[in-house]
Order: sequence, then C-alpha cells, then structure tokens
Amino acid sequence: MKNLKYILMATVLLLLYSCKEEYYLYNDIKRIQFGPDITRIYTPSYNLADTLKSYIFFYESAAKQQDTLFFDIYAIGGVSNTDRSFKLEQVAVPGAENAVAGKHYKAFNDASLTSKYVIKSGAVHAKVPVVMLRDATLKTTTVTLKFQIAQNENFSTGEPANVWRKAIFTDRLSQPPAWDNSATLYYFGKYSVVKHNFFIEKTGQKWDNDFILAIRPDYALLTYWRGMVKVALVNYNLQNPGNPLTDEFGEIVVIP
Amino acid sequence: MKNKYLYIILIAGVLSSCFKDKGNYVYTEHEEITVTGIAASYDKISLVDRITIDPVVTSNKPGAEFKYWWGLYETSVQGAVPKVDTLLRTKAIDYLVVQPAKGWVLVFGAKNIKTGYTKIVTSNINVITQFTRGWYVAKTEAGKTDLDLYLTPTSAIPASKMENVFSMVNGKKLDGKAHTLRFYHDYKALTGTSFLNTRALFVVTDQDASVVNIGTIKEIRDFNALFYNAPAVKKPDIVTNGSAAFYFINNGKLHSIYNMSANSGQFGVQQMVNEYNADYKLSKFFYSAGFYDPYFFDELSSSFYSAGGASLQLTSVNSSATSKMPAKNNNKRLLYMGFKTTSQTFAVFQDKTNQNLKILSTITPSVSAMVILNDTLAASEKLYSATMHTLFNGDENMMYFVVGNQVWSRNLSNRFEQLQYTVPVDETISFICHRKYTVASDLAFNYNYVAVASKKGDSYNIRMFTKTSGNLNPIPAFTITGKGEAGDVMYISPSVYGSTYPNTL
Repeated sequence: MKNLKYILMATVLLLLYSCKEEYYLYNDIKRIQFGPDITRIYTPSYNLADTLKSYIFFYESAAKQQDTLFFDIYAIGGVSNTDRSFKLEQVAVPGAENAVAGKHYKAFNDASLTSKYVIKSGAVHAKVPVVMLRDATLKTTTVTLKFQIAQNENFSTGEPANVWRKAIFTDRLSQPPAWDNSATLYYFGKYSVVKHNFFIEKTGQKWDNDFILAIRPDYALLTYWRGMVKVALVNYNLQNPGNPLTDEFGEIVVIP
Repeated sequence: MKNKYLYIILIAGVLSSCFKDKGNYVYTEHEEITVTGIAASYDKISLVDRITIDPVVTSNKPGAEFKYWWGLYETSVQGAVPKVDTLLRTKAIDYLVVQPAKGWVLVFGAKNIKTGYTKIVTSNINVITQFTRGWYVAKTEAGKTDLDLYLTPTSAIPASKMENVFSMVNGKKLDGKAHTLRFYHDYKALTGTSFLNTRALFVVTDQDASVVNIGTIKEIRDFNALFYNAPAVKKPDIVTNGSAAFYFINNGKLHSIYNMSANSGQFGVQQMVNEYNADYKLSKFFYSAGFYDPYFFDELSSSFYSAGGASLQLTSVNSSATSKMPAKNNNKRLLYMGFKTTSQTFAVFQDKTNQNLKILSTITPSVSAMVILNDTLAASEKLYSATMHTLFNGDENMMYFVVGNQVWSRNLSNRFEQLQYTVPVDETISFICHRKYTVASDLAFNYNYVAVASKKGDSYNIRMFTKTSGNLNPIPAFTITGKGEAGDVMYISPSVYGSTYPNTL
C-alpha cells in the first residue's frame, strides 16, 4: 500500500514537471552545427538531410585524382565582425573501412584547407569542403569518413544530432544510396555490380545517385528507364540462350 | 487506502490544469452577409472579354463596413496545387481576361471589418478563344495534313470556316494522310515550370502526329517530342486513353503514359508482348471504355491483349468457358472493332486460313474471362462485303457500314440490313462515324449525327445526318465542304472532355 502511495506521488510530480516546456536556448555561447542546404533550413523535414553523402570516382576520367564534397554548416548566436574558424575531426566508425587522412582525404588540418573552415565575417553559413583523394586502394574498397565538429576558441558544438557528417566514397562501381530498399523492391531489383554495369552499358547513363534521384519523382520517366533496361535484359538473355546474365553472386539478374 | 482516491483526484486535477478553456461563450446572433450580382458562370474570350461585375453586399449587422478582394484560380489541376491570384481589392471588378483557355474559378470576398466575418462567393469562368468551339476536320491535300475549323457561334451547325488553322498557327503542315483526331482535357503540358493538365487535341496521320493546345492551336509536342525516345519508324496508328493512361500505337507497337501521377506528356518505351519480347503488331481497331484498360488485338498471333499505362508488358486476355471463340490464337484477322457500350461491343473477323469465312462477333470484354459470341456472315449479306464500319455510341443496337458508295445499316439484334444513303457517283466515301454531344450545361449545342465523309475531286464533303430510330433522315442536317480529303471530324467546345467521345473508329 505504501508503495502505491509513493508511485502515485511520483506520478503527480512527473505530471507537474511535464507541464513545463523546456527550451534549449542558444544565446549563452556561440555554437556551430551542420544543417541542410540553405534553401531547406526552414523546412523541418530536412533538418537531418545531408548527414551522409556518397561519391564514386568510377565515372570520372583517370585524370581526376581528387574531388570535393560540400556540407552546409551554420553558426548559431549571431554574426561576427571577424572571420571565425571552426574545427573538424575524424571519428572512427566501428566495423567500417575508415578513410585515412592524407591517403583517402585531405586532413582537416591540411594547410590548404584551414582557410576554408571559416565562417566569414557577417555570415552565419559556410560550405564545408571535404577533399577526397583517388587512392589506388579505392579500386577495391569503399571507405567511410565520419567527422564531427570539435570545440575551439570560437565555437562550442550545437545540437548533438547535427554535429557530425559522413562521407562514403570509392573508385569502384557501387550501390548508390538512391537505389534503396524501395527502388530494389519496386523498380530495379537486387543491386549487383553486374546489373549496374549492364544498365550503364545499355543506356549510356551513369545510374548514380543523381541520376536515380532525378528520375524517381517522375513516374513516367522512371518507367521509361526501367523499361529500357528490362527490354535490354530480355533481349540479352534471348541472344545468349542457356547463359542468362548472372551477377557476381551467381544469381540470375532480374528486374521486377 | 482511502488516500488512493485522493491521489487519483489530484492527478485528474493536475491533468486538467494543462488544458486551456477554449469554449465559445458568445451567444449573439450569427452575422449573415449577402452577396448578389455574381452569376454562377461566365464564358469569356481570352484577351478580348472583360469580367465586369459590381456586386451588392449587405449584412444583417447594422453599420457594417466592408473590405473586398477578387481572386482567380484554375481548375482541373493535377501535379500542382492551384494558387489563388489576387486580382483587385475593390468592390467592383472590371478585369481583362488574359488567362489561357480552360476552366477557372473567380473568387469574391467581402469582409466586415467591424466583426471580422467574411463571405466568399465563387463563379466558374470558362475562358475560351476562337479555337475552343467548333467542328475540326483533319484533312489532307497533296500528301500534307492540316486542320479546318468550322465555327459554331449559336448551335452545332457551322456559321463560318477557318481553313488550315494548324499551319496558320504553327507554320507547317503534318506529313501524310490524316486519319485520327483525339481530344483530352488532362494531357500534361509545360505551363510555367510545371507540367499541368492541358486541353489538347491530337492530330494523327499515317506518317506524323502532333498534339496542340486547343486554346491556341500551338503545337505542344511533335511526333519526335511525344516520345522519350522516338521510334525509328514513323507510322502512327492510334492514340487513345484508358482508365489511367494515354496510349499510342506506332507501327503496331504500344507506348503509354501513366497519367495518374506527374508526367511530362511523353510516351515511354515500347511495351513487350510477352517475357520473350516476341514480335507483335496491334490492329488499329481496339476497344476502350475509358474507365478501364483498353483491349487491343495482335494481328500476328490473333490474340487479344490489354495494357496498363505503367506496365512494360501487355496483359494477356483469357477466354470465358462460355466463349465461342478463344481470345488467344484464334487464327482471325480483325476487320473492325469499335465502341458500343461500356460493357459490350461488336467486331468483324475474317479467318486467316479460310478467307471466305467472316464473322460478326459480340464481345464482352474481360481480361480474365472474355466472351466472344459468333454469328457467321453469309456472302450474300451486305456486311460481308463492308469496307468501313461504325457503331452507335450507346444508341440503337445497329452497325453502319460502307459498301462501295453506299452506306448500309445492320440491326445487331435481328440482322436486318438496310440501305441508308448513297453518295453521288463522283464521290468516294472516306470514313463514317457516329458523333454525339449531350451536355446539359451546353444544351444549345447538343447534337447526335452520323457523319458520312466523302471525297470529290480535290475537295471533301462531310454530311451530318440526324437519325430516327436508327435510320438516317434523308437530308443531312448540314454538310461541311472543304479542300482536300477528310480523315476525321470532331466537335470541340469548352464542355468537351476526354470521355465525351469514344476513342475507337
């Protein structure tokens, strides 16, 4: 009985506490955090957009030995009359092939980049460049570069969910993020490098993330491209009787 | 133990304190604002007519002071959210209509600034142009196709003519011989930055095709642009719609646009007939009732197929156990099939092996259980020798057909055949079709005609006959005459929609 009394009292206190709305105010110290593209900052559904970006060197010419991904970062707490640097640091991802500074990407403290990691005077937004290097090992591996904001003399870190970003890149053909579960189930079937190569060969399109994202909103256009590869696959199998297109897992390539 | 109830009451009290009392305790009489002087609808010619209205606004509240606004938004929008454009903030409106030809809604708002109460009144605005009402004829001269427009200002009977309106607007003619006109209100065309429903007319020849905005006759897409990847052979057969898609058969191969989602008005990849991508050639005769997928006939396999708009492969059609002829591999040539009702139609077949065997079939369409009931035609029956056919859309159970320069009828219930009309000996019949227009809101223009088109030298005649109990009245209601050979005729008005006319021949 005593227990019931205490439980009820605790419930009352909890309810009283829950009536109070709590706000995390950012007017104490200057903070900095990542965010979506500047055109999306007032669209709540995009608050966690762009946490992950991927890149494939495979489509580029051999002359291209490095390329850059850009992330959006925002200072909180107003503008300043002076440029304010911010600091980034790599975070190891357990179980992943972590990118190596100087080998797979330019280190965040590389002299050529330090001037880029700055919120300019009078501004609250900057594009954060991450320079990927086309190391030979990327031909056989896909590396992950997770990085986060480190506190420095100008900024403390912002909302925990927005203090990190991740880049995944490789130099081999690999599954674009837009070829997701839904695309697998309804449009293109299970991903394989053989299938991806076949799509590229038969259509002249990259079938990379940008291409798939571009065709998905237009169902008629998506159906057109799906039809192109499906008809090409049927014709290939007809021209190779008893030897249908088979992927690297030993499975017959199928498009739903 | 008794304390338990005390705590429960306390919790309930705490919970209820979290809610604000939003009760309405105003018991005064509701305000009634009355607006008069705005009609339910107006027809306005774009860039010519003005909307001129000075409504009377009153309130049952004494001392009401109003502020006003007028707005306009478009109807039949798909793929975008319609936006109300504010036109004016005065009581009276005198506004030149500049919107493109289609349906719009005029909105008038009157707000009593003392009470904050607002009354909204709407009115339909049919924006029209000189091109949005009249008979269109697709005609061919010297191997080139154009459109003649017969204007109908007061009724369906033409009062004047505009020749070659397609080339007048677009500076070119279409290659080839005209054979099909089709109108759809929901074809997607680029408007600003979005692809929106557009009232559009397809003009189809045996070598070319074009889709034009009916408000301007400006070409939206030519043959090549109608496809994501234009077919190598330009040989258009038909354009039609179904429950959820547009279909285009070119050189016997089917292309489609799934129209229930955003699209750019371009037809997709050629659909396969089966999982082996076998060859096929769809007939120009088909059945489409508009609210389900159409039925096509493959001339190579002598099989019926249906097709979804988003599909990559035709849908095989199975026969019912009661069918007298299989829907698949029936070894027949399809000489004619059209539209009769939404549940039944008729077709004329010829056996591929015994070409003397011709059959008039009654067909109940169904993908899973098509029923085909056959009536063998005797060589002595006129229908046996027919070269052109048409069915009455929902009217009498009759088929009209052409033998030489004669138009005959056949009662489909009792096989009775009757000569209906003979064109003069110096004329050759180009086509026959049944056209009717029964729109309650456009009563003055309603009609029900059998069109008999013929060629005489370098000109065409299209005689429009009314009918009584399925028989043509002896004298046509009117005759359209023009240069060239007519391939198709269609009446267009602001009230014509994609479902107004059957798609079939």
